[in-house]
Amino acid sequence: MSEQALHQDHLGAHPDGSPDEGHPGPGIYIVIALILGVMTAMEISVFYVQSLQSVLVPILIILAMAKFALVAMFYMHLHYDHRVFSVLFVFPLLLAVLVVMSLLLIFAHIATVMSFTIPIWPGH
Amino acid sequence: MAAQPKRLAYEFPSYLHDPPGIWGWLTTVDHKRVAVLYAVTALLMMGIGGLEAMLVRGQLLVANNHFLSAGMYNEMFTMHGTTMIFLVVMPLELGFFANFMIPLQIGARDVAFPRLNALSFWVALAGTIFLHLGLMRGLGMLPDAGWFGYANLTERMYTPGVNVDCWDIGLLILGTSTLLSSLNFFVTIVNMRAPGMTFMRMPMFMWAMLITTILVLLAFPALTVGLIFLFADRFLNTHFYVVSAGGTPILWQHLFWIFGHPEVYIMALPAFGIASEILPVFSRKPLFGYPMMAYSIVLIAFLSYGVWGHHMFATGMGPIADSTFAITSMLIAIPTGIKVFSWIATVWGGRLRFTTAMLFALGFVIEFTIGGLSGIMHASAPVDLQQTDTYIVIAHFHYVLFGGMMMSILAGFYYWWPKVSGRMLNEKLGKLHFWMTIWAFNATFFPMHFLGTLGMPRRIYTYAPNMGWDFWNFFISINAFILGFSFLIFFINIVWTSLRGEAAPADPWDGRTLEWSVASPPPAFNFVTIPTVVSRDAFWVRKYGGATAHGIAPAIAGGAAAGVAMPPAVGHAEEEHHIHMPAPSLYPVLFAIGLFMAGVGCLVWTRLIIMGGGLLGISIIGMVFEYPTFGKYNPEMIEESTIGVDHRKMGMWAFLGSECVFFATLISTYMVYKDRNLSGPDAMILNIPLTSFSTFILLTSSLLMVLALAAVQRNDRKWSVFWLCGTIFFGVIFLGGQAFEFTDFVLHGLKLQTNLFGQCFFTLVGFHGIHVLIGVVWLTVLMIATARGKIGKDRSLAIEIGGLYWHFVDIVWIIIFTLIYLMRTVKHA
Repeated sequence: MSEQALHQDHLGAHPDGSPDEGHPGPGIYIVIALILGVMTAMEISVFYVQSLQSVLVPILIILAMAKFALVAMFYMHLHYDHRVFSVLFVFPLLLAVLVVMSLLLIFAHIATVMSFTIPIWPGH
Repeated sequence: MAAQPKRLAYEFPSYLHDPPGIWGWLTTVDHKRVAVLYAVTALLMMGIGGLEAMLVRGQLLVANNHFLSAGMYNEMFTMHGTTMIFLVVMPLELGFFANFMIPLQIGARDVAFPRLNALSFWVALAGTIFLHLGLMRGLGMLPDAGWFGYANLTERMYTPGVNVDCWDIGLLILGTSTLLSSLNFFVTIVNMRAPGMTFMRMPMFMWAMLITTILVLLAFPALTVGLIFLFADRFLNTHFYVVSAGGTPILWQHLFWIFGHPEVYIMALPAFGIASEILPVFSRKPLFGYPMMAYSIVLIAFLSYGVWGHHMFATGMGPIADSTFAITSMLIAIPTGIKVFSWIATVWGGRLRFTTAMLFALGFVIEFTIGGLSGIMHASAPVDLQQTDTYIVIAHFHYVLFGGMMMSILAGFYYWWPKVSGRMLNEKLGKLHFWMTIWAFNATFFPMHFLGTLGMPRRIYTYAPNMGWDFWNFFISINAFILGFSFLIFFINIVWTSLRGEAAPADPWDGRTLEWSVASPPPAFNFVTIPTVVSRDAFWVRKYGGATAHGIAPAIAGGAAAGVAMPPAVGHAEEEHHIHMPAPSLYPVLFAIGLFMAGVGCLVWTRLIIMGGGLLGISIIGMVFEYPTFGKYNPEMIEESTIGVDHRKMGMWAFLGSECVFFATLISTYMVYKDRNLSGPDAMILNIPLTSFSTFILLTSSLLMVLALAAVQRNDRKWSVFWLCGTIFFGVIFLGGQAFEFTDFVLHGLKLQTNLFGQCFFTLVGFHGIHVLIGVVWLTVLMIATARGKIGKDRSLAIEIGGLYWHFVDIVWIIIFTLIYLMRTVKHA
């Protein structure tokens, strides 16, 4: 779909300025769905290709971030809605990533420095 | 005191009498009444928490004392801390002051979601009662593992009674209430400010509350996750915090303090805000350095997320983590110092009036500064290692919590109580209260620094007579009793003046902010006409004009009485007729009862869980559909909103932001634990083909969801119902796939209790599944409403908000699918 067609689709769906003003129409939604489907297929393919195992993590993370962003921007309309919604979502998201990274770093450090024998839980 | 302005005579009944009777209070959704309900509950709990402190000090009065048993001592200090933090300070700051003052200070008639506000109170009350269930005969005892509930002391094997269950479930219930309140206040402050009230014209208390709500939304999910793990350990036999099963109690400490240190600022920032309101009024000067004061609050809040580790120096996090947390902790002193110096500069050169409120506010500045200085000592890891678990820590946090927060809360009471009750508190009793408090507080807590230096550890129920601690313990206990007595004077003052006190004028202190422009107590709808704000200190400018807005007040106080035009505080009966206030509702009470029943069901009778769940469902649906503008696109509301967006949509986005932290905490636990398995299946058991299929299904459901939204926005009922049915169908297929996967794992020997991988996997993916299930139920209700013609284009917001939730569930799955499934062989920690 050309950019002009996308633009027309965008405008054409809401001629009366109703609550959906600024939201894209079904055309864009379907295009996004196709992109998401292709990216998911790529993720699964990468998982099974042995030669890509060394770069598996960065590829998967980039693809997941791209999918995440597409759903948030187009299906959740962050790309079209008031910027305050983006702030409300992205700031906590960054904080959440920081929390994950901090905990992983701290526990990785503990695991590296403090090697001790853990007794086996009875029954296992 | 400013004289009573002529125009402020009662023309409408006050909110205290409108509507009348117990039923009116039970079903109220008025923010002021809800605030009063919070205040009454919190003051009652203040009495109980104070009594617990007296018992603790009674036990430590002399060496080798056996006034309390060791167990009862543990219960008392646990409940004292839990009560004062969760049932007194937070409800007074967020429940009482914020609830009452936010709409009045920003020029609004109520909060954004009045029913949710009432619901928050009743849920808080349910949580409060739940925490004390252990007092009931047959249930044993009160919680006794400390307010911090350190694992693995809280595990069933070490604390087999129901007391920690009550603590765990009670805090989960209270956390729900706090989250809902914060969501509500956040939207209210951002989106319901009066015309002209920009962020930089807001009263400083509003800045404090705005940032506090953000802190709550982003900090509480970590506690929620920690409590859920504890619940699973105690009820479902998992081992999140059990070392012998591969888990670690350190995880609890991280989760608790990721919440716990922002929690300190959740309590401190409102206190800062209250003092920042009082000091300018009684100095008759504007707040010094307003922009820096506002930015300092933001910076303190931001930094507060990066300092949790300073509570854990003794756990051995390593030099890098220790250094990082030490630096960030010390950095917080900078914005805090800016605030302290600004308060001093505000008072400096002012024409001071030493009312009780002012005395307590000044007391707050001094005592909090002392507490802050000892806090800097604790920020240094080597110093902290010497001080940790000694009485120095108790001295420090009481200087912060009592000297800081409680002093400010008391200042706020003496300042705003006339507005709340319509009666002046007695100043003589107030000053007696202040001087007794300031003496007894310092005499109680300052010597604790000495005791700590002498090596007296925390949490010991008695001590030997030859340790050199006898004198100071005796001295501290006597002064603690005096401190307790001073609060008796405070309670007497409130009760006495409520019955026989002098009637309060609208503006008794010659105030600067909008709440003083309405009658004391205000009418139910607050403002007849929403005021227009042209400057900071909006009411002051109205009274004295712009020339004095940022200068010293005129020589004669009481500009209102001097003939200065008053804002439209009251009007005529026909004006009231056009003001539509939200209708009362019983559903918030039913919701809280349902939640309470479900909680009790976990403890004693599992059928109560189903009954409570049913009541919850009924009350949620009832609340949604009794709302006259349910899902309705309301151009007027959007036009009148401060930033031009719908409250409900903003509320949903704020909720989703909070959910990000919730899932991040679950995901990080999974990543930390998944490779610490001692036995049983690991991540290699994960079924990639099945979940790949599920991923496509969920992504497709998101497409159908937006198509449903597009259809309803076109007013195309047939297609909107069709696409909604499709979304629900795909959601159900996803859930079916998850049920199949879980069953398959169980058949292959991986249960929730099998190993760390199992418990983390089932918890994370299970919670996502619960979210999908809630989404399916939600969309089913919307689909039925759409099919019955209840939702059309004009109410398409209901579909849009439901859709936001559904898409969020989808993007969480995108992350889970990548990190948990496709990266199953990657070692994380």
